[in-house]
Amino acid sequence: MTDHPARDRHQLRTLILAVAILSTVLLAVFLTVTTATWLNQYGFLHFPLGFYLLAQGLFILIVVATFWFVRIQDRLDEARAENEEIG
Amino acid sequence: MSVPSRLRTANPHLGAYYGIVTSAFVSLILLLAMFEQLGASQTVLSETMLLAPLALYLLIAIGSRTLEVEDFFCSGRRVPPIFNGFVLAATAVGGVGVLVYTGTVFFLGFDALAIGLGWTTGMLIGGVLFVPYLRKAGSYTLPTFLGHRFRSRIVRMTASVVQLPPTALLLAAEMKIAALIAVLFLPVSFSLAVVTIAAFIGVTVILGGMRSVTWTGSAEFLVGAIGLAVVVTTVSIVLTNIPAPQLTYGEMFSSLHDAEITAGVTPVQPDGLAAALPGPAPMANGKPFLEPFGSMSEVDFATLFLCLALGTAALPSLLTRSGVTSSISDQRRSTAWGLLLVALFVMTAPAIAVFAKLILFKDIATVPASHLPAWLSEFGAQHLIQTGDANGDGAIGARELFIARDGITLVLPTAAELPYVLSALMATAGIAIALAAATSHLFTLGASLAEDLYRVLDRRQTLPRLVAAWAAIAATALAAAVFLVIAEVDPLRVALSALAFAASTFFSTLLLAIWWPRCTVQGALAAMGTGFAVMVLEVAIGGGFAAGQTALTTPVASLAGVGLGLVAGVAASLYWRTSSKAEETYCVEMRNPDGDAIYDRAQQRAAATALVAPTAHAVPAASAS
Repeated sequence: MTDHPARDRHQLRTLILAVAILSTVLLAVFLTVTTATWLNQYGFLHFPLGFYLLAQGLFILIVVATFWFVRIQDRLDEARAENEEIG
Repeated sequence: MSVPSRLRTANPHLGAYYGIVTSAFVSLILLLAMFEQLGASQTVLSETMLLAPLALYLLIAIGSRTLEVEDFFCSGRRVPPIFNGFVLAATAVGGVGVLVYTGTVFFLGFDALAIGLGWTTGMLIGGVLFVPYLRKAGSYTLPTFLGHRFRSRIVRMTASVVQLPPTALLLAAEMKIAALIAVLFLPVSFSLAVVTIAAFIGVTVILGGMRSVTWTGSAEFLVGAIGLAVVVTTVSIVLTNIPAPQLTYGEMFSSLHDAEITAGVTPVQPDGLAAALPGPAPMANGKPFLEPFGSMSEVDFATLFLCLALGTAALPSLLTRSGVTSSISDQRRSTAWGLLLVALFVMTAPAIAVFAKLILFKDIATVPASHLPAWLSEFGAQHLIQTGDANGDGAIGARELFIARDGITLVLPTAAELPYVLSALMATAGIAIALAAATSHLFTLGASLAEDLYRVLDRRQTLPRLVAAWAAIAATALAAAVFLVIAEVDPLRVALSALAFAASTFFSTLLLAIWWPRCTVQGALAAMGTGFAVMVLEVAIGGGFAAGQTALTTPVASLAGVGLGLVAGVAASLYWRTSSKAEETYCVEMRNPDGDAIYDRAQQRAAATALVAPTAHAVPAASAS
């Protein structure tokens, strides 16, 4: 910890956000890879489910997660700027 | 004093300019489609379709020429996020993606999805972990950033040297793809095509540096995206009556499965990753499209995915673009746009592969050998598809149908019996994306050689900054052309090896440099050196992706390089605790999202110092390191 609580809070939240988003995506990818053969017995939009998730589903998740990350990180940065101005 | 980058605004007419570019290209397609109906020859159509956009790119490059250092190296830091996203997507996908990835999906089906998934996830990892901090640092190249972060010329020069393999390999792969397309559609030899492409990208980059790379790259991306979208959507309408290829190709799996069985395609067993990757020469397709983990095991799939993800995240050509927007927030947004566009392409590539496979198997592999389509002889002459009834059973089986991996995308419009103008359009799209990626790689290489090697080694700065960059870019383009003319390069293996090098060499180094303030110069050198050494060792023992005789495959070696690099970096940093106050201040400032780029502030301070004491020999604080 430093003498700048707003700065410390911002860094901690940025780190948590980064870890959360990357671990979510990587976990989703590895879970899908390990269960793809089993998932393929189910269908979705005429695709075998395991194939669909690796060919499209995970990309949709990654794109949504990225735009969500951009929005949340912008808010964290704005909050830090406001707190530093007040401080 | 220059205007702070966060207060700069982009040219308000950019939307109109690129609207005109798009309209002009669409008009060209319609015009040539009409000419084809009026009886124009294929030579006229292909030459006009390929050369007219090249003239347009050159015009844009001339229009964006500059002699300003900031414009040359970071496009004035006023590129709107969507335009940076265009170039990021074109650089990440490249001609390798359009032609080679699609061909790989054709041959490996399900198993090839690891590659596209790796690219997309890598853009997310880079966008979260590295890009915002590189934007705040504001350095013109990745080695410059590392040099400033650790206040070390040695780190800067080392990073510039170890950046050569990944960037040069990708440059060679993209140039080869562009040359292959040119040879198929224009009356030129391979050597002439390579030399012309090298000259074209060299002139483009020399004229305006990052500025011309950005604006020609945006036009090239638009041309590539329009070309791909028009052709694939048309094929989708022809085959399914619905203009949404990403959604409709699932309906064709049962027909494809039947065609594969008729042609004699049977399930296969994994035989090592290197053996699984298809080569550039025409080969038979022996794996059912939907069979999961038939050509590579689940572990190989996961390691290939992770290797490509980390390689894309740490790819110098993508990270060099981290300083071109006006703010950190815009930079994050541009990465998100780039990722969206890459994801759209990667979701479309399997549709192209399925359409091509279904058409080829139905038209060739399931009809009598005496009733083969007329276009087959044309592709046979171009070495894209070769076939023959070897077993004399009167039919062409899957084992008798040899297809060139890199020709699948180009073959699709003709095989679907679309007008020739759409074949030329697909070629234009491929060449446009390949050129956009090649200019990015060339700029990254040339700028780093000039900024991080020449300027550091030549303390007297004999050559002015831009002249050094021009010389480095010209020399790099020439060297790449010579290399391509004399060496046989497989774009797939070369591109995958480049990403493996990028992951092994830079991922752990950047992670420590940005996220661990206690990392020291020795730690950075240890991380970079260990990762690079592991990859060099792997190439020496296993021959990269070219050979599969060793258990140490390239992705495994790359991931080992990342892990060992992290351990070496942490251990060296803890052993030599020499982190200076300046380094700690740099780390704290790098994580502050407000204010101007650190590099720009250093430049402004240096300029102010020079004004106050004009006789003193002022050295910019940032470049002094």
